[in-house]
Amino acid sequence: MRVEQNHRGQMAAMSMPALVFTVGMIAFPFLYTIWMSFQTYSSTGQVTGWGGDNYLRMAVDGQFWNGIWITLYLYVLSLVMQLVLGTGLALLLFRAKRLPGIVRSLFISPFMMPPVVAGMMWLVILDPSLGAANWILTSLGLPPSAWLASPVLVVPTLAMIDTWQWTPYVALIVLGGLQSLPPSVYEAAEIDGASRRAVFFRITLPLLLPTLVTAMILRSVDLLRFFDLIYITTQGGPSNHSMTLNIYGFRVGFEFFQLGYAGALMVTLSVLVLGAVMAFNRLRAAVEW
Amino acid sequence: MYITRRGVACLTAALATVWVTSAAAQEFDWKAHSGETITFLANSNPLGQLLIDHADEFEELTGITLEVDSYQEQQMRQRLMTVMNARSDEVDVFMTLPSREGMQFASAGWYADLTPYIQDSVSPDYDADGFGKALMDAATFDGQLTAVPLNIEGPLLYYRTDVFEECGLDAPSSLEGLADTAAKLKECTDLTPFASRGLAPAAPYSFSAFMHNMGGQYIVDGESAMCSPEAKQALTLYSDLLKNYGPPGVVNYSFQQLTALYSAGRSAMSFESSNEFGLIMESGDRLEDTAIVPLPEGPGGSHPTVIGWGMAISANSANPDAAWYFLQWASSPEMQAKFALEGIAPPRAAVADSADYKAWLEESPVRQQWHDALAILAETGTSEIGYPIIANPESREHIGQAIGDMLLGTASVDQACAKADTALNELIARD
Repeated sequence: MRVEQNHRGQMAAMSMPALVFTVGMIAFPFLYTIWMSFQTYSSTGQVTGWGGDNYLRMAVDGQFWNGIWITLYLYVLSLVMQLVLGTGLALLLFRAKRLPGIVRSLFISPFMMPPVVAGMMWLVILDPSLGAANWILTSLGLPPSAWLASPVLVVPTLAMIDTWQWTPYVALIVLGGLQSLPPSVYEAAEIDGASRRAVFFRITLPLLLPTLVTAMILRSVDLLRFFDLIYITTQGGPSNHSMTLNIYGFRVGFEFFQLGYAGALMVTLSVLVLGAVMAFNRLRAAVEW
Repeated sequence: MYITRRGVACLTAALATVWVTSAAAQEFDWKAHSGETITFLANSNPLGQLLIDHADEFEELTGITLEVDSYQEQQMRQRLMTVMNARSDEVDVFMTLPSREGMQFASAGWYADLTPYIQDSVSPDYDADGFGKALMDAATFDGQLTAVPLNIEGPLLYYRTDVFEECGLDAPSSLEGLADTAAKLKECTDLTPFASRGLAPAAPYSFSAFMHNMGGQYIVDGESAMCSPEAKQALTLYSDLLKNYGPPGVVNYSFQQLTALYSAGRSAMSFESSNEFGLIMESGDRLEDTAIVPLPEGPGGSHPTVIGWGMAISANSANPDAAWYFLQWASSPEMQAKFALEGIAPPRAAVADSADYKAWLEESPVRQQWHDALAILAETGTSEIGYPIIANPESREHIGQAIGDMLLGTASVDQACAKADTALNELIARD
C-alpha cells in the first residue's frame, strides 16, 4: 500500500512540469483573454468599464460578420483543395516507390518554408505590375489579373498559396495512412476482378477516412486561425475582402488599442476552432474501422 | 601695438566664452554610461536603417552597448504596444511619429518627459534650439517634450522629365490639372501615368494633401466632414486618378510598391514620401530624368503634408539616462549632417545650411528640387493626417476604407463618405 502511494506521489511530481507548463502557457492566457473580453478600453488602453458590451457590439458589427464569412470561405476552399490534391499526391508517391529521394524532398519542400517567406515570395510573383505571374499570362496572350488586389480573386488566391504550401503536408499524412492499409483486402479485390476505380472508391477511400479526418482536424485548426500569410500579403485588403476574424481581431487589438473587443473576437474564434475540432473528433470516431 | 579698453573687454568676453564652452565640453562626458546596455526599437525605413548602420559609431563614442530590435513600421508599433502594455522595460528608446500616435501614446503615458534632459543634459555642440519650432511643438503634449525630431518629410510629386518632354507636357500647375496631365500621359506613353498609395492604412498619408488643397477639413464643428463638398471632390479626384491612371492592384499599394515601380521606370508620376528619395535615386537610373515638386495647389490653396519621425524614451525604461545619450547622438547636428547626405532631410536649419550639404545638393538638380520642395513643406505644410483625435490611427483606417471602396467601385462617393462619417463620428464621440 505504502509503495503504491509512493509511486503515485512520484508520478504526480514528475507530471508537475507538464502541468505547470499547460496552466502557465495555455490556460492562463486563454482565461486572461476571456477576462479581458468583458472589459472595455479607451483608445489609450485604459479600462473604462465592465460587462458584456463587447459581445453585444459584435452582434451588430458588420466587420465581425464579414470576418466570419471570409474565415469560413477561405477555410472550406483551402481544405477541399488540400484534401483532394494531397490525396492525389499521396497516391502518386505511394505508387512511384522508386522515386528518387531528391524528388520526394522537392514535393514536400513548400511546407518546410516559413509562411512569412512564402508570403513574400508570392507577393513578388503576383505583383500586378512587376510580377512573374502576369508576365506569363500576358506572354501567353491572356489578360493580366489583379490577384491579391482583386476583391473577387483575393480569397481564392490566398487559398491557392496556402494549398501550394500545405498540400504536401496532407499528402504525407495520407501516405502514412496508405502504407498502413491491409494488403489482403486489395488481394481479395484483385481476385474478384474489381476495376481500379472501384478499388479506389470502394476500398481505398473508405479505409482512408480516419486518416483523412485526422488531416482535416490538423488543417482545420490552422485554417480557421489563418493569419501570417494574409498579414504579409494583403493585411485584410483590398477593402476588407480578405479580413478574416483573426486578422480583424489582431488589428482591433494591436493597432486600435481596443483590447477588450479584440479579446471577445478571439474568444469567439477559439470557440469556432474548438467546435470544429470536436465535430471532426466525432466524425473520426464514426469512421474508425 | 595699441589696445583699447573695448578691445580688452571683447577679448575678455571671448576668452570667457571659450573657457565656459570648453568647461561645459569637459563636463559633458560621453563615456558617463560606458558599459551599460540599452535597447532601441527601430523602424526599418531608410532613416531607421541609417541609424542602425551607424550604431557602431555610437558604441565607440559612448561605450554603451546598443541592442537593436528592428521591424517594419506597423510591426514595430505592435511590438511597442505589447511591451508598453506589459509595462516592461524591454525597450529603452524607440522611433515614433508624433503626428500619428503622439496624442495617443502621450495620453497613455508611454513617453518619458524629455524636457529636463534637453534643458540640462546636452553636449555643448548639440544645439538644442536648432530644431524647427513646428516640429518641436508637434512633439510637445501638455508641456512635456515627448520626442526629438530626426527628420522632416512629406509626400512629394516625383515625375519623369524625359517622358513629359516627349509628350510635350509641363509639370501640372493645379490640383485639378493632375487628371488632365495623367490623361495625356496615358495616350502618349505605356508607363503608369500616376501612382500613389491605395492601401487603406497608408492612403491617408497621401490623400490628406489632396483634402487640404481642395479646401477640405476632417473635422468641422466637432463633426466628421468627409461628406463636405470639398472632401467629396478630394475623394473623387484621388480615387479617379488611381482608378483611371494608376497601376493595376493599386488598392494594395504602399510606399514599397511605389518606390519599386518608380525606380524601375514604370511610372511617369509618383506621389510618394520624400524619405524614399535616397532609395529611388540609389541605382542612379532616375537621377537624371526626375524632377520633384510639392503637390500642386488646389481651390483651397497649398497645404502640403509635412511630418517628422522622432526619437522617444520609454516611460518604463530602466536606463533612461543612457537612452538619452543615444537619442542625443542620433539627433545631433553631426549625425543629421551625415544622414542628410543619404537623402534624409534634416530637421535642423543649420544642417541644411552646411557647406557639405549644399555641395551635395549642387551635384544634381533633382537633389536641389527635393530640398526646395521640402523647404516649402516646412514653411506651409500641415501635419494633419487623419483626424486630430487620440484614436488617430483608427481614423486613418476609415479614410483609407472610403478610398478603397471607391477604388474598387464598390461604393459611390456619397456612400463611401457617409459610411466613413458614421464610423468617424462614433470615434470622435468615443474619445
